[in-house]
Amino acid sequence: MAIINYNPNLTLCGGTPPAPAPAPGAAAPVAATPSVELHVCMGLNACKGHDRNGTNNCAGTGYCATAEQHNCQTLNNCRGQGGCGLYGDAEQQMVPGANECAWQGSCAVPIQAERYSTLGDNVKKSVWLLARKLFEERMKKAKRVVGPAPFKCGPPQNWLISVLGSYDSCGNSGDKRCSFGFNNPEDHAEVLCKGKKE
Amino acid sequence: MSQNLFFSKDSEVTPANLGEAIQQAIEIEIATIPVYLYTYYSINRVPDQDTISGSLVQELVKKGVPVKEASEKALKLSAEIMVYANKAGALIMSVAIEEMLHMALSSNVKQALAGMPELVGKSPSVWPACLPGHEPEFPINRDKFSLDQLMTFLKIESPDPLPDPKLLAAPLPYKTIGLFYLMIIECIQNNELSYNTHSPQLLPNNGYYAQNNIDTVYYDKDHKPHFTNAPDSGDLLYVRDRDSAIHALHCIIEQGEGFQGQGFTPDGGVDCGIVLPADYDDFDKKELSHFEKFAQIYCHYKTLEDKFNGLGIGKIDISKYFVVNVPLNPSTAHYPDHIRPVSDFLNGVYTYLFVMVENCYRQAGNTQYEIFMFGVHKSMIFILNSVCGDIMKLTYKHGEQVYYAAPTFEDYPFGLLSSPKSQLIDLYTAAVAAYPAISYLGQRVQDLPDVPLQNHGEF
Repeated sequence: MAIINYNPNLTLCGGTPPAPAPAPGAAAPVAATPSVELHVCMGLNACKGHDRNGTNNCAGTGYCATAEQHNCQTLNNCRGQGGCGLYGDAEQQMVPGANECAWQGSCAVPIQAERYSTLGDNVKKSVWLLARKLFEERMKKAKRVVGPAPFKCGPPQNWLISVLGSYDSCGNSGDKRCSFGFNNPEDHAEVLCKGKKE
Repeated sequence: MSQNLFFSKDSEVTPANLGEAIQQAIEIEIATIPVYLYTYYSINRVPDQDTISGSLVQELVKKGVPVKEASEKALKLSAEIMVYANKAGALIMSVAIEEMLHMALSSNVKQALAGMPELVGKSPSVWPACLPGHEPEFPINRDKFSLDQLMTFLKIESPDPLPDPKLLAAPLPYKTIGLFYLMIIECIQNNELSYNTHSPQLLPNNGYYAQNNIDTVYYDKDHKPHFTNAPDSGDLLYVRDRDSAIHALHCIIEQGEGFQGQGFTPDGGVDCGIVLPADYDDFDKKELSHFEKFAQIYCHYKTLEDKFNGLGIGKIDISKYFVVNVPLNPSTAHYPDHIRPVSDFLNGVYTYLFVMVENCYRQAGNTQYEIFMFGVHKSMIFILNSVCGDIMKLTYKHGEQVYYAAPTFEDYPFGLLSSPKSQLIDLYTAAVAAYPAISYLGQRVQDLPDVPLQNHGEF
């Protein structure tokens, strides 16, 4: 453990902090690779090059999440990395991609277009559209121009499966995109896309 | 059957035995949890519709029904099974999570009026079990989904005394859970009691309780989601005075039995007629009481079975389409070697949940929050639920029958020489050696908070 010796010029708060002790045997400092902002889905990137492929041009146009993919509540690594929508209380479900801390996100990442909220003011409505709304509000405060998302209502589940190999969001009640032979699954996605309730 | 009776002589709740009575209420709630969960996990909520439809088409065609007509009938009926299996699962889960809420509300009342709630080691240890203190006793099994099991659920939640002695295990005076809570309420109402507002409780607005989640949702024939709990039907409550204590207990009664809704019919049957306002538990009339939820599943099953039996292809047990063949009242000790370590691990997680919740009544603020959010939620959704699904992929033979292993929900006896978490890690290690498919749970177990066992004698 590095020991910082007493320094009469150093106060506990403020002042110039001591330089961190070099790690044992460390070579000269090397510039770190710039990290990307971690966000939870398509169309929610704040910066150029901050999607999973690193190829997007501007804010809001990225193809996929940079946060670690996971399939349900409590599995997000940190602040802003939870998907929300299928578990959690009404308050938690209102902040997809904007949770306060690790493990407080209440659903899978990325957020498929078919996902709807199960509690709160957004109940039965699209989670991705809510995430995008929160993102656009944040960008407005930051005075950033936001481009269109590749899919205007978020990535369809089938597209995610084709890109990621597999995709699963939480719950035992079955696939969000499904038909028992009496409905067209596309219609449900369209309803959600219009901002209406499922 | 075993029964813990707290009242040795009379059935009156007094300030002297109030603490014991509330503890008994907590244990009534705990006793229902393994029963409802066991039956819940026996349901395949998303069976293979093609298989159901295909077998129906074959049977119908064999009986001379033209293929087109057979296919149309099979599609319709298979869709009904899809809806029913999912609906039955959603409704049972919606009740199970409210039983957990009731356990917490009763625990809040106990914390305010009589000290620490005791939760660890309170699951029934002998099966068939019975509700602690319930008169008359009636057997409660961990059993797969069936009409008989639904009848047991209805007895548990009945708002009225059971009218037909044939339904009873013994012809003794009957009390409902609601009446039991009313006895506690009466004691609280009629006595000047002191309320402890300093000890931690599980409070609302912390994200601890959510009325609905994706598991309380089912889809109708057109795949539109339906929610089985209403957001205004109940929540955690801070118990700090007489009114809040009574409010908490009334919430439990109404969620279970509705606003004095009707129970069994005079002949001991289930009323499958129209739903009355009293059958709901919320002011907006969007959520049925537990009793009425089970009555709905019961009646829907009968209707569906009649439809299948009207096809002219013989008597059909529709449960074969969506109910997994799990054993009656299994115990870990009786499972074979390849299942036992997995079952021990599952029971370790189940018991550790109670250890953590109990600890939440000793910890306030952020410590409590972290235990609940990172420990209880993670264990429930991402460890227990996962391993319940995993264990049911294992089978074993007993006699000529092949059974799927099922979660036994037994209290695991954590020792005092090391922390429960370290023992849980050991249980995981043994389980993963027997069943490598659950290795993905390792990090989740490691992530759990390290919470000690408590000695109840110190309070």
